[in-house]
Amino acid sequence: MNTIIIDGLSFALPLFIMAIGGIYCERSGVTNLAIEGLQGFGAFCGALFAVCIAPCFAGNSPVPFYLAMIFAFLGGMLFSLLHAMLCIRFKANQVISGVVINILAMSLTEFMTKQINASIFKAASNKFVLGVSTRITVPGISSVPVLGAVFTNLYPFEPVIALIALIAWYVLYRTPFGLHLRACGDNPHAVDAAGIEVGKVRLVAVLVSGALSGLGGICFAYSISANFSSNIYSGYGYLAIAALIFGNWKILPTLGACLLFGFARSGGYELVKLLEMPSSYQDLVMVLPYVLTLLMLVFFGRKNHSPRALGVIYDKGAR
Amino acid sequence: MKKHDWIPVFTVLLSLILGIVVIALLGKNPFLAYYNLLQGSGLAPKASYAGHKGMLTDFTSFLNALTPMLLASLSVLIALKAGLFNIGVSGQMLAAAFVATVLVGYSGLPAVLAKPLVVLIGIAVGALVGGLVGFLRHRFNINEVVSTIMCNYIVQYVASFFINVFFVDPVSRQSKNIGAASRLTLVDVTVGDYKMDIPLGILVAAAAVVAAVFLLGKTTLGFEIKAVGCSSRAAEYAGIRVGRTRVLAMMLSGGAAGLAGVTYYLGYFASMQPRVLASTGYDAIAVALLGNSSPIGIIFSSFLITVISKGSTYMSSTAGVQAEMASALTGIILLISACGAYVRERLDRWKENR
Repeated sequence: MNTIIIDGLSFALPLFIMAIGGIYCERSGVTNLAIEGLQGFGAFCGALFAVCIAPCFAGNSPVPFYLAMIFAFLGGMLFSLLHAMLCIRFKANQVISGVVINILAMSLTEFMTKQINASIFKAASNKFVLGVSTRITVPGISSVPVLGAVFTNLYPFEPVIALIALIAWYVLYRTPFGLHLRACGDNPHAVDAAGIEVGKVRLVAVLVSGALSGLGGICFAYSISANFSSNIYSGYGYLAIAALIFGNWKILPTLGACLLFGFARSGGYELVKLLEMPSSYQDLVMVLPYVLTLLMLVFFGRKNHSPRALGVIYDKGAR
Repeated sequence: MKKHDWIPVFTVLLSLILGIVVIALLGKNPFLAYYNLLQGSGLAPKASYAGHKGMLTDFTSFLNALTPMLLASLSVLIALKAGLFNIGVSGQMLAAAFVATVLVGYSGLPAVLAKPLVVLIGIAVGALVGGLVGFLRHRFNINEVVSTIMCNYIVQYVASFFINVFFVDPVSRQSKNIGAASRLTLVDVTVGDYKMDIPLGILVAAAAVVAAVFLLGKTTLGFEIKAVGCSSRAAEYAGIRVGRTRVLAMMLSGGAAGLAGVTYYLGYFASMQPRVLASTGYDAIAVALLGNSSPIGIIFSSFLITVISKGSTYMSSTAGVQAEMASALTGIILLISACGAYVRERLDRWKENR
């Protein structure tokens, strides 16, 4: 039971932070299929930095990890500028822009990883080895039955994500900026009439999305894969999109969706282990979140409302 | 040529120039690298060949790689004409290829029966998955972008499960190779002095492109698809059954994707790798865009993208440029072509002001 909660949370939270980024982006009216690429590029930047500064620190020092998180944050933001530029300035189709950014992120990071490994570290390798970050257990609370598992064996990124998620919730629902952002996704002309530049609000939203995706990416790199390689592109970004649509573009229901995905995954793995089935049965477990999403959309999809101006390029003259 | 048909040409040129700059910055000779790409694809003679190999061998191998890309782009294009984004081409490819592999690939049927059967099963399964996506959109208002992504993962993991449990080859860790009789590519055929792979799939692909041109240009269904794509409201007002048209368009798109799948997994390759989706389906979205969303245009764009990816191995061994540079170059081409709409608008405005 405890393993399910611990593993489930460590998968659900990075997913959640990427989904929040997606919510910011999509609530402002910009479709974001680029999360997959953004998280990969963010993780690349963070991992590159961590590998470069690693010699300056002791082997088990947590400092490179925190710095890597900051750089992943910035890297994701930098790369999302591309999405913003294409969607807002160049008025490209947002779905196409997202797909192209995913392809570009994948090929660029793979190319640069190999190139940097070859020319700087003099090694023919296609990954940056990071290791798994140290885990923390909160003394006291962790001994509470069941609930205590939430505070046991935490990755250091989990409290950070929880904090950022809280801030993100507050900004989106309780500040004027959040109101403008949400209005941009539903009625950009009204926002424009109120004297606020739609393009600027959307730019900020896309940047937030990139930064949070990058953060999510480095968390996956430091927990599940323990390195940066092309394995980082195994669909977490798309799963985050599924979560946010499942969560009806609202932060709290999206948290529920992410937790569901996380626990379904870790629970399934435990079940496979418990029944002593061969590991290939894990693949059937992996199907669960996706089938669930489709089924839920079939049953509750009619109540789901995407932001009204989602994916529509803002044109001042249109009515 | 229509007014803006040269815009993709312009974007390609711009990206190739960017590529030259990048390769030069890495300290390699960009023109040599580009020439290597052509050589690797069998479009220019190499300095030396191994026994029984020649330019023609490379070229048929190139056609072999081109076939699935062309069909996948066609799939994206048909959906795009109806205003739908088929992001699930990769999943539809795998689904079709998986069923065809299991039913025909391992059956030992004679080639005369097996090959047409593979093609038919490919179309049928692809159309089924595509149709499901269309139906979900029509009946339950589920955005096709979401449902195709979900379908991709479901197909990927289910296929991976069955491959690992029943059909795995313990050495290669992939599915067992299919029999030569059901493979759509004739392997190691001796022609004159050469031994080469002959892709029969390219004929299927050519037929599919012709069929698409005819369908979109000359039939009622094609017209309805385009009308729905331009404005579903106007189409509805004109009496077109929008939902039905969307489902049909997705079935056609899925059918083309299924064809791409069988030519990829039962032609270009002979096995499937568990837990991996071909990137072809995603690349095809951008290739369709680069081809100006016209069936003839995608012939050129998929040709170009395949030259780059196919020639990259030779480029890395000869010019010393990492093979991943090729996919980065592809990414840059696609990125710049995504700005095509902006270039178009700017040009129009510039002409108006003049």
